[in-house]
Amino acid sequence: MNFVPLLLYAAALPAYWLHFSRRQQAVGRTATTLLVFGALAHTFVIGMETMQIGHVPIVSPSSAISTSVWLLALGYLYTEMTTEERAMGAFILPLLVALQAIAAFKGGIEDAAAAPILQGPLFSIHVLSLMLAYASLGLACMIGVTYVLLFKEIKAKQLGFFYARLPSLQVLDTMNQRAVILGWAFLTVGIIVGFIWTPQARAYAATDPRVQAMSLEDPTIFVALVCWGVYSFEAWVARRLGWGGRKTAYLSALGFAIVLLNFLPINYFLTRSHNF
Amino acid sequence: MHLLLVGVSHRTAPVDLRERLDFQARGVEGALRNLTARGVVREAVIVSTCNRAEIYAAGDDVNAAREDVVRFIGQFHGVEPAALGPHIYEKSDLEAARHLFRVSAGLDSLVVGEPQILGQVKDAHAAAARAQTVGPLVNRLFHSSFGVGKRVRTETALGSGAVSVGFAAVSLAKKIFGDLKGRNVLVVGAGEMGKLTAIHMKSQGVSRVTIVSRTMAHAARTAEAIGGASAAPWDDVDAALSAADIVITATGAAAPILTKAHVEQVMRSRRSRPLFIIDIALPRDVEAAAGEIEQVFLYNIDDLQQTVNENIARRASEVERAERIVGEEIDKFGGWFKSRGAVPTIVALRHHAEQIRKSELERLAFKMSALPPEVRDRIDDITRLIVEKLLLTPTEQLKALGDADTINAYTEVVNRLFALSQGAVEEEPETRGEPSNVEPFRTGPIDRRKTGR
Repeated sequence: MNFVPLLLYAAALPAYWLHFSRRQQAVGRTATTLLVFGALAHTFVIGMETMQIGHVPIVSPSSAISTSVWLLALGYLYTEMTTEERAMGAFILPLLVALQAIAAFKGGIEDAAAAPILQGPLFSIHVLSLMLAYASLGLACMIGVTYVLLFKEIKAKQLGFFYARLPSLQVLDTMNQRAVILGWAFLTVGIIVGFIWTPQARAYAATDPRVQAMSLEDPTIFVALVCWGVYSFEAWVARRLGWGGRKTAYLSALGFAIVLLNFLPINYFLTRSHNF
Repeated sequence: MHLLLVGVSHRTAPVDLRERLDFQARGVEGALRNLTARGVVREAVIVSTCNRAEIYAAGDDVNAAREDVVRFIGQFHGVEPAALGPHIYEKSDLEAARHLFRVSAGLDSLVVGEPQILGQVKDAHAAAARAQTVGPLVNRLFHSSFGVGKRVRTETALGSGAVSVGFAAVSLAKKIFGDLKGRNVLVVGAGEMGKLTAIHMKSQGVSRVTIVSRTMAHAARTAEAIGGASAAPWDDVDAALSAADIVITATGAAAPILTKAHVEQVMRSRRSRPLFIIDIALPRDVEAAAGEIEQVFLYNIDDLQQTVNENIARRASEVERAERIVGEEIDKFGGWFKSRGAVPTIVALRHHAEQIRKSELERLAFKMSALPPEVRDRIDDITRLIVEKLLLTPTEQLKALGDADTINAYTEVVNRLFALSQGAVEEEPETRGEPSNVEPFRTGPIDRRKTGR
């Protein structure tokens, strides 16, 4: 089911690239239309799964990725429609397509009955805030990348491709800061709720080795905290130390690389606690 | 009807002749009324700017119209035909259209891609509309040319990139800071260059301009000349540097007045706020190494000149794409323009058929007088529908014809087969002021759908 939005995202990607390089209005509108249909199809897919299993599909790694992609697509579309700025799409779409491809090819629909301990509201809040955090941080990362590309052109006095197409450094920097602070806030909520939920789950499922493994020694939890550290630094400390837009942009990219690390290899292979 | 262009531009005529042919000065609308009142030209628009004076006209006989327009230009401005002759150019039909499309696109401008021309072409059309000298042909021509101008502007970089040093500095500042409102500009040095650049920045909405100079009196005088600027003594230069977002240095100093170490020290107090330094002094006022500092963007006069040169080259490289757009639009316009060739015949054919229908109904009027009115109405509708359906395919075929030769051959055949005389009905469709397809009589639902009205 995740293939339909994947196909539409993959169709929107070259349209965004073409619009970025040629700047034809018609191509831009086509790109946005394809993405809107992709997001609609994705909404439908997630809605169907929700009805089928009785909760938002966030438990298995694949469906968690799919839901994050959906949130990221909606978040990006909101940004595009409020700022009338399509240039960022050329950078966000590859991320959407790559992550959605993982979700689609790894596949597998969640089993509703598999883990009764995952039914509580605390667990839903935990996972949903982390998804929102990851979507927001993914956006921040891509904005950071464009910031660095533009920064390098201006610094090197080679005013070319990106200079003609991207918004100003100031705008990119502000967008990056907002996305990071939003992402940091959701990350914080997600982690705190996780810590509140764990003792309850321990008591409830004393025999489940996955629940008992929930400690700082677990790679998923450990890396999430590292990630939180990086973003806390970027959101609250870096600017006070006089770090400019370029360095903080690199931090956004580093932070999101850690997020992806947690999402993909660790979540699929290494973790002992988060493999439901 | 043919399209015709007669005019002079910066490419063909010296400035003194262009000045003498300025229609703006003598009133475009009056000139247009004069021209059409002569009876040769039926529709006309005058595009008159400081770089060109062009008359776009439509008339039945292209040669007669051309001679009349040239004579009109000479008489209206009091210029001898001999003085006009070598500088004037004339184009007809699609070549005239291509010329206007290139003008609207900015391809024919002195500075290729300059943005004002499209507005001037629109104004020219609006003036002609006020003077009521526009008709279906020039209306269609000008509306198509607006589309060309818009496409070239959005789809190519023909008009993008600053082509003067001052604009290059402003566009860089905007790329770094976004909006310049609320930004502070510091000018170091009280010279002319610094003043001009500061005025340029001020016109872009920066909130504060401060002048620092070795001699306080000079600084104060320059600040006054800029208007709304303030002067500060040389000792305050560090404080002024910390407060500024954009620094323009233009002193006559022989050695750099801002070293890398100095700028580094200033940057510490600024935290992460970027600083854009424009060094337009020769020899340079700022050590080149200062540009290595994170969040410092240093451009000297050569760098700015370099970006200007690149922009000029980039505009030149976009010319080809813009010309391609002009070509595409000419094809579209040409399709419409050529299909007009068969229009008088179509009009005559339909008129002929309607005449037959009416006379037959009149002939039978006596026999039908016994029928109730609604039945007679029904007969009227049915006969009309039959005529419509019979003529639908021939009409479409005639409209779809391509080149002029084919059109001539077809219209000749149709005229002979039906013994049509076109003159009698040609006036009917040429209503002024609105471009539209020609409809000789009320059309039924079938025809309306097919012609896409």
